[in-house]
Amino acid sequence: MDALFRSHAALVYVFLYVPIALVVLFSFTAGERSGELRGLSLRWYGTTLGDQFVIRALGNSLVVAFSTSIIATTFGTIAALALSRAPRAIRTVLDGLTYIAIIIPGIVIGIATLLFFVNIFGWINPWIAYLWSSLGLGGRPLTLGQGLHTVVAAHVVFTMAIVIVLVRTRLAGMDRSLVEASGDLYATPWRTFRQVTLPQLAPAILAGALLAFTFSFDDFVIASFVSGPGQPTLPMYVFASIRRGITPEINAIATLILLVTLTILFIVQLIYRRQARQAETLRAAAERVEANLEDLAAAGGAAVAA
Amino acid sequence: MTPPGLAAARTSPAGQTASRWRMRLATALMLAPMSAWYFFLLVVPLGILLVFSVGERAPEGGYQAGFTLDNYVNLSTRATAFGNTLWMAAAGTILCILVGYPLAYYLATRAGDKKTVLLILVIVPFWTSFLIRTYAWLTILGNTGIPAFLEAVGFGKTVLLNTPFAVLLGIVYNYLPLMVFPLFVSLERLDKRLLEASKDLGAGRWATFRQVTLPLTLPGLLSGAILVFIPIMGEYLIPALLGGGKVFFVGNALFDMYLQSRNWPFGSAAAIGLILVVLVAVGFYLWFGSRGRVERQVSLL
Amino acid sequence: MDRTEFLKHDRAFQRGHISRRAFLQVTGLGTAAAVIAACAPSTTTSPAPSEAPSTGPSTGAASEAPSASAGIDPLADWTPPQGVTLGDTLELTTWPNYHDPKTLDRFTQLTGVKINVTVFGSNEEMLAKLQAGGTGWDVLVPTNYTFETYGKLKLLEPLDLTKIPRFDASRYEARFLMPAHYPAGSPDLYGINKDWGTTGYVINTKHVTKPMTSWKDFWDLARADYSGKVTIHDYQLTAIGNALKYYGYSFNSVDPKELADAEKLLLDVKPHLFAITSDYQPAMRNQDAWIAMAWTGDAVQLNRDISEITYVIGKEGGEIWSDFFAVVANAPHREAAYAFLDYMATPKISAKDAEFHGYPVVDSAAIELLPDSMKSNPIVYPPADQLAPLEFGAAVTLTDPNRAELWARVKSA
Repeated sequence: MDALFRSHAALVYVFLYVPIALVVLFSFTAGERSGELRGLSLRWYGTTLGDQFVIRALGNSLVVAFSTSIIATTFGTIAALALSRAPRAIRTVLDGLTYIAIIIPGIVIGIATLLFFVNIFGWINPWIAYLWSSLGLGGRPLTLGQGLHTVVAAHVVFTMAIVIVLVRTRLAGMDRSLVEASGDLYATPWRTFRQVTLPQLAPAILAGALLAFTFSFDDFVIASFVSGPGQPTLPMYVFASIRRGITPEINAIATLILLVTLTILFIVQLIYRRQARQAETLRAAAERVEANLEDLAAAGGAAVAA
Repeated sequence: MTPPGLAAARTSPAGQTASRWRMRLATALMLAPMSAWYFFLLVVPLGILLVFSVGERAPEGGYQAGFTLDNYVNLSTRATAFGNTLWMAAAGTILCILVGYPLAYYLATRAGDKKTVLLILVIVPFWTSFLIRTYAWLTILGNTGIPAFLEAVGFGKTVLLNTPFAVLLGIVYNYLPLMVFPLFVSLERLDKRLLEASKDLGAGRWATFRQVTLPLTLPGLLSGAILVFIPIMGEYLIPALLGGGKVFFVGNALFDMYLQSRNWPFGSAAAIGLILVVLVAVGFYLWFGSRGRVERQVSLL
Repeated sequence: MDRTEFLKHDRAFQRGHISRRAFLQVTGLGTAAAVIAACAPSTTTSPAPSEAPSTGPSTGAASEAPSASAGIDPLADWTPPQGVTLGDTLELTTWPNYHDPKTLDRFTQLTGVKINVTVFGSNEEMLAKLQAGGTGWDVLVPTNYTFETYGKLKLLEPLDLTKIPRFDASRYEARFLMPAHYPAGSPDLYGINKDWGTTGYVINTKHVTKPMTSWKDFWDLARADYSGKVTIHDYQLTAIGNALKYYGYSFNSVDPKELADAEKLLLDVKPHLFAITSDYQPAMRNQDAWIAMAWTGDAVQLNRDISEITYVIGKEGGEIWSDFFAVVANAPHREAAYAFLDYMATPKISAKDAEFHGYPVVDSAAIELLPDSMKSNPIVYPPADQLAPLEFGAAVTLTDPNRAELWARVKSA
């Protein structure tokens, strides 16, 4: 039985890693075709890094993913902190929207936000043009259109929802005694938040930021609906290259993306460990303080009783 | 968050009201960005989608105002796409369970101290690019990949790429980690003493699994199933790359309705249809989950 | 006339203040444009032209357009327009495998304008994206049958031909250029030809041994001998059009009965197809597919790399088309867009570009410059009898809702 489970697990790992390994392997081919290894070389890495379209798409994707991650994490965390204090009715509505944002398929978000942008820009641009001319500003009036900013706006919808869920879960499971102890020690609320709450929330916030970054960086469907002209994100570029003729360049891009994600994962893992250690130390310290307080109280009680 | 409240508790009643108002204001301000975002980029867009779905296709394509339910009635012409998506999503979910459950069981109960490393190894592919994970199969399933191998071994000519099989494979490959993770958590939480008790009571392995392990890990299984099922329902990329335009999901139909036939009202109706299917699935999950919980509580009594 | 005076005239001429003929009269240089080249090193480095371009445009309407083109030697190499700020970027929206990257790079070198290329799979997709708030687009590469729609929706701007001095309608065969007039027959020209081509199919003769000459062969063998090895376009216009040819109907038919026949055929063939895709080059190259519905240039590119792959034009007919460079209405980089159109209208440039993409060019001066191997290549310039039965796509073929819906039904079946 044991052997059966073990071989099943082994097979699953083969299944999971062989395709990726092949992509990496084929990226080192010296030949012209992607699905084979004909001599070893780094030429396709040279081609990739020298390809201005790849670099531009990568740049676009990084801008989008960083902006999405920062906005989603900031607003999401702030909202999660406030949600537990919000009136019940408001909280129910916002919680409902959070879940809707998560479960609605990306393609629907893409279409719906596209329709929104088309309508809102179509409505607002004539007004800008009107104001522009009536204010006597020269040249072409400013026109709002789709671009990387619209991609970010659409990505934030569901990544923010993910951050909110993560942070709220963490808040619910948080050790309240620390906050109370901090209050008992006359720390200002801000200081309590910064020194007690935030460190405890950090893993959830970090996880949220990372997930937001990954989902945004990886998204093809939403971006292909709402991105602007001539501003493909990396997945859009990769998708087009896959469809339009497979050169080993695509393998090199894939390997580079793998390398970057794995590095980020590794760094995050390190931060996580350090955070966990810090949280542990903090908790231990707080417990010591609490024990002291209790001793003090006990001593005081004893004194009163005496 | 209680710190402001704690601070307020130490002040006079008048100060208390003032600080309560201050707190409300702070709460409102903190919720403002999120609410605005949800309103403008979720509620309003979905509203527009709803309005468009009862409109008409403009002569040159796109949308023109109107009120008709024809688009919803015509959804029946896309029944194949909806049916196809549903059965592929169901099949994909079941395959993920069949592959994922034994793995999660192995990891949770028998992997020993390699457990964490092995679990991380399941998750790592999930953090890499979805597109590239799918692309990886193109070469393997293509003419020069497995079919060439099968032919050399003597199986004759086979076509794997652009078949439902290829799409299902891509689905399992991409979504397996989402299934394994919740299963692992619930299996790890499983009280091993229950298994021993079952064994002591003379139950066989299968009976123990069916009567103890499976019911107790059902929540994990359900979470995994919904985590996998929902994204498959909205899938576009896997059928686009591994299905060659022949294996068709609602997602692909939506792309076509917006970017090819430019029938936005019809596309909007289909999008609403997709949302409804997903909501029904989630509703079923919640209902099933709560019913299961009640039953477990009863059986524990 | 002394040298300073000449230079003054030359500069005026370069700025487009005076017509070419006036310039030549004043300077008395006749047709010796080579001298101009020698006197104004910044203008050109090419050898003297063998013939002066005729000034009588063949498409009646275009002749009215004030041709400031007069004056610039079309056969010379291209130089950026003087006294115009071009900006630093240009958004080019086009088809896959359609431009030599070197051609685009050269434009950037000469002007400092970087070209951002966005690639689409079909005119429908391009139109959809443009309708969906495609602000920020500059140059488009639409096909002949789209101008009526683009014109109606006011998505393109009527070309200011004074900004495209190297374009001369007389060098363009009327049937290819004509569709860019909107409304039909009006003097307003919305695009200038990039190239033209046909829609046929490629076959890999290593595997395909049966003779194939018609659309009947294509659809019949796709269901029999070559089942699982055939791809068709993911594009209603060509997929339905060529299915209609199976029955001998018009490529452009919107007749419900004829469309119903085509739908039946497509549904019948669908299970036998390897894929429905407009990106068939990868499948043909690694031999996943042996037969693919294809456009001229893809056939040329495939044939160039794999000689067993040849091109068939269905003998019942099918599609002949021409593509254009057009400027999007309210283009943010309008000057750069016109400079690019002028650049691509330079015979030397477009001929060189054609060697890469393999589509036949329309510009007679550019055809002259093509290498003989290309001029005599029957895939590029098929014999007249093969072209005779072909039809140009009609505007309604693109926009007919029944065709669009039929195709969507076939795909989702």
